[in-house]
Amino acid sequence: MSKAAALPTRLAKVAYIGAVLAMCITPFLLVFAISFGEKIEGAAWVWGFQFDNYKRFFVGADYPNSISFLYLKFLWYSLYYAMIASILAVATCFPFVWLMTRLSRRAQTVWLVFFLASLTLSEVFVVMGWDILLSNRSGLPALFKETGLTDLLKETGWFDVLRSWGLASPRNVRFKPTEFATILTMTYLVWPYAVILLYPPLSKINNEIIEAARTMGAGPVTVVRTVVLPMVRTPIVGTVLLLFVFLLGAYVTIAVFAAPEKHTLSISVYEAVRGATLNAPFGSAQAIILLIAAAVVLVFSRMALERGEK
Amino acid sequence: MGMLLSRVFMGLMAVWIIVPILVVCAAALNGGRTMFFPPEDPTFARFVEFFVTEEVWIRSLRNSMIIALGSAALAVIAAWPIAYWLWRKADGVSKVLAGLASMPFALPPIVFGVGLVFFWGFSGSLGNIWSGIISHAALFMALPLTTLSIGLQSLDRSHLDAAATMGASEATAFRTIILPQMLPFTASGFFFAVVLSFNEFIVVFFVSASAYSTVTVQIFNSLRNGFTPTMAVGAITFITTSIIIFSLIARFGNLPQLLGADKSK
Repeated sequence: MSKAAALPTRLAKVAYIGAVLAMCITPFLLVFAISFGEKIEGAAWVWGFQFDNYKRFFVGADYPNSISFLYLKFLWYSLYYAMIASILAVATCFPFVWLMTRLSRRAQTVWLVFFLASLTLSEVFVVMGWDILLSNRSGLPALFKETGLTDLLKETGWFDVLRSWGLASPRNVRFKPTEFATILTMTYLVWPYAVILLYPPLSKINNEIIEAARTMGAGPVTVVRTVVLPMVRTPIVGTVLLLFVFLLGAYVTIAVFAAPEKHTLSISVYEAVRGATLNAPFGSAQAIILLIAAAVVLVFSRMALERGEK
Repeated sequence: MGMLLSRVFMGLMAVWIIVPILVVCAAALNGGRTMFFPPEDPTFARFVEFFVTEEVWIRSLRNSMIIALGSAALAVIAAWPIAYWLWRKADGVSKVLAGLASMPFALPPIVFGVGLVFFWGFSGSLGNIWSGIISHAALFMALPLTTLSIGLQSLDRSHLDAAATMGASEATAFRTIILPQMLPFTASGFFFAVVLSFNEFIVVFFVSASAYSTVTVQIFNSLRNGFTPTMAVGAITFITTSIIIFSLIARFGNLPQLLGADKSK
């Protein structure tokens, strides 16, 4: 390439890198910078450098006169729902994917198309499906009543147990709004992701190893427990963590299935940035804390995993 | 016995995934204005509403399609140079660039959404459909980047060496050897991005305005006022599109390889 042609090429290269970085990085930098800004009462906000938004997150705006852990509670629910649902999804998904990878290549492809199609299904559609299934007038509660299952539960005393778990009203079973419905829907939401993420490591496990173990007299369950599981421990933990980070951003599920006092940070972030409360700097601070929380969980589990491997 | 048990287990898992989807599809057949399952007074009137008569749904479906196709094309165009650079040189700069370009996809989308509100707010184009297209292109750039990298890695380097020995320039080799072999991977990356953009909710929810909304945002908004069966038609349309697209990828590309399965099997 001649020297004369090099300059425009180089300029194009710089412009291209600039554009990619501007689109992919600037939004995150803006969130970080604005989280130190200041909300002006009755107006928008101004740039600034103060930690009031972070202080408000941990101890409330009115500290030290009074103390409030409202946003810490939101953070706790974000982490709690996401952790339980991602562990549940991987625990139920692992045996499935293991069986799937033992099928023929063609059958695997069919299953993969099925899961990819359900994986890309928007959160709004998933929530819509479960909402119909779980709401009181249609779906399971109505089915329970029609089939007499509700009465049966009442007779056997299980109804009171369900009530104490918050899964029943005085008259019938009730799933909305409950933690049960929230976690169920979130588990469903990431289940196909778990399939796609567990598929590569499990499909690489050679049948010969399994057959060797089988000829030495190990049963299929023993083989999975003693041979397969140790081989894929790292990808399993990795999958749980990826699903966890993904679920931290769940919005529709929480908005529809969780009771207001058990909402998560993603709801309050939206409220602050584009919703009713309109406090962009505080919303940014919450988003940053969500990111930091995700990063902390990721780093700690990686450390634990490395320690376990030694 | 073990065989039967595993079949039953796999069947149960398939049922668990498919039941909510079936419920949504069946709900679209409802005759009344409310969602019931099983549907009452089944009819196809909702399909006519969604595609022909109700302005709101037609407009949001058109917006969804514009954003999905536009952003996927943009994402592929933006991802090609990085993927090529990464494969050709694998230097520090290209690795950092690829990592940064994947960040919007890897981090919780709600944070990216908040950032985009500020980004477009400052440039005065918040709520503009263009900003929606570019936002999704940035969000989903990681997908073509991944499929293209997988594809480039599977290229046979000896073909390129042969071309170089026979005096072909880098540009010629790119056009005659790399590009034709990379078509399936380019297409897969494009379609992955199309489908995900089509179904994406939270980022569009942040950057859209009442002037334009996509089907997912429109459904969420109507969901607050209670479900209507017409929304379910949207769901059916989306599921069908996804299945068709992934079947095409499976038919013309190597789906297990794209998803990282062992090639030899």
